[in-house]
Amino acid sequence: MEYKDYYQALGVDKNASAEDIKKAYRKLVRKYHPDVSKAADADQKTKEINEAYGVLGDAEKRAAYDELGRGRRAGQEFHPPPDWGAGFDFEGGEAEDFFSDLFAHVGRRARPAGGAYRMRGEDIHASIGIDLADAYRGVTRTVTLRVPERDEHGRVLTRDRTLDVAIPKGVVPGQQLRLSGQGHPGAGGAGAGDLFLEIAFNPDPRYRIEGRNVFETVPVAPWEAALGAQIDVPTPSGQVEVSVPAGSQSGRKLRLKGRGIPGQPAGDLYLMLEVVLPPAASDKARELYLAMARDMAFNPRQRMGA
Amino acid sequence: MAHSEIVSGVLLEDVALSLEELARACDVEPGWVVRHVQAGLLGGEVSVQVESWRFFSGDLQRARRLLSIERDFEANEELAALVVDLADEVRRLKARLHALGAQ
Repeated sequence: MEYKDYYQALGVDKNASAEDIKKAYRKLVRKYHPDVSKAADADQKTKEINEAYGVLGDAEKRAAYDELGRGRRAGQEFHPPPDWGAGFDFEGGEAEDFFSDLFAHVGRRARPAGGAYRMRGEDIHASIGIDLADAYRGVTRTVTLRVPERDEHGRVLTRDRTLDVAIPKGVVPGQQLRLSGQGHPGAGGAGAGDLFLEIAFNPDPRYRIEGRNVFETVPVAPWEAALGAQIDVPTPSGQVEVSVPAGSQSGRKLRLKGRGIPGQPAGDLYLMLEVVLPPAASDKARELYLAMARDMAFNPRQRMGA
Repeated sequence: MAHSEIVSGVLLEDVALSLEELARACDVEPGWVVRHVQAGLLGGEVSVQVESWRFFSGDLQRARRLLSIERDFEANEELAALVVDLADEVRRLKARLHALGAQ
C-alpha cells in the first residue's frame, strides 16, 4: 500500500488548524462536486478530498495519521498497524480509499476494553459497476476485502479476503445489495457489520436506461427505412431480428416488449431508428443521388411553408 | 492467504431495512431518521407506527447524502434536503440532455 499525503490533497499545511482544514475541505468539495464541476476528474478529486478529510477532519484519526506519517513521502510503501479494522477495495478500482478505511476504527480504541464490552462491527458501503448485459442474466463479481493482520514475526501485513458476490438478475442502477455479516468485524464477540453494495452500470454509449426500460439507437440505411426490412440488431440480451416498417423515419421508436431489464414486470427495449446516409464518395454513389434528386419529387422543407 | 467464498446478498427492494437498520447503516441515532421522516425529508410512512417503517435502496442512498451535506457544511436539515433535491434534478436533466445527443 502506498502512503498518501492527505495534507497535500486538501492543500493545507501540516500545522493547519482544525478550522482551516474544515474550510479547505468545504471549498474543495464544493469546487469538485460531481453534479456541479466541469472538471473531467471531478469524481476522482471528490474521492480524494473525502478520503483526506475523513482522516484529517477527525482529531484522533489525524493524530494517528501524523504518527504514521513521520518522515514519509507520498507514494512510499507503508504497512498499517494492527487492530485498525478491515479495509476493502474492489476489483476494477471502484473503491480505492482503503487507506482511510484503515483509520475507521482508530477512534474506537479509546473505548473501555472491559470483558463486557461488545460492539457490532461497522457497516461498509461501496458501489460496484456491472455491465447492462450482467443485469439481464445475473453475474458473479469478485470483491476484495483487505484485512490487516500480524504475521509470525509481528509484522503487519494486509490479507486479502475475496468474496464472490452473486449479483441477482434484474438489478437496476441505484439498488442496494445487502451482504449480512460482510462488514467490519465486531468487538468483544459481537457480530460483524454488513456490506452494502450500490449497483451502478458501467457507462455504455450504446444504451440509455430509464428504470427498467432500455433505449438503443439503431442505424438503418435509407432503403431499409423507406422500403421496410428485416434487420439483425445486437441487444443486451443477444441478437434479435427486427422488422423495420416501411416508411420509417429517423427517431421512430420500435418497442420490444419485455426485452428491457428483467423483473416483475420486465422493462421494454426501445430501438430508436436513425437513418444514416451512405457517403457520396464514388461516381456511382453520386450518380444514384443525382438520379433520386432528378426523379423523386421530394421537398424535405415542404412543411416549412417554402 | 486469499480464499474465496460465494456470498449472496439481498436487494433492499426485496427485504427492506427497519428504522434501526437504516440508522446503523448510516451510523446515526434512530432519532435522526425519525426526525427526517417526520419532517418529510426522507421516505417512510409517517402515518404508520415507527416500528413498521421500511426503507428501500433509494432511502438509504438519500439518507447518506443528506447526512454528508449536513455534516460537511453543518447545514440545516431542510437546506441539505434542498441540495439533494436540486442535485437529483441536475442529474435528471443531464441524463435527458445526454439522451437528446447534447454533451
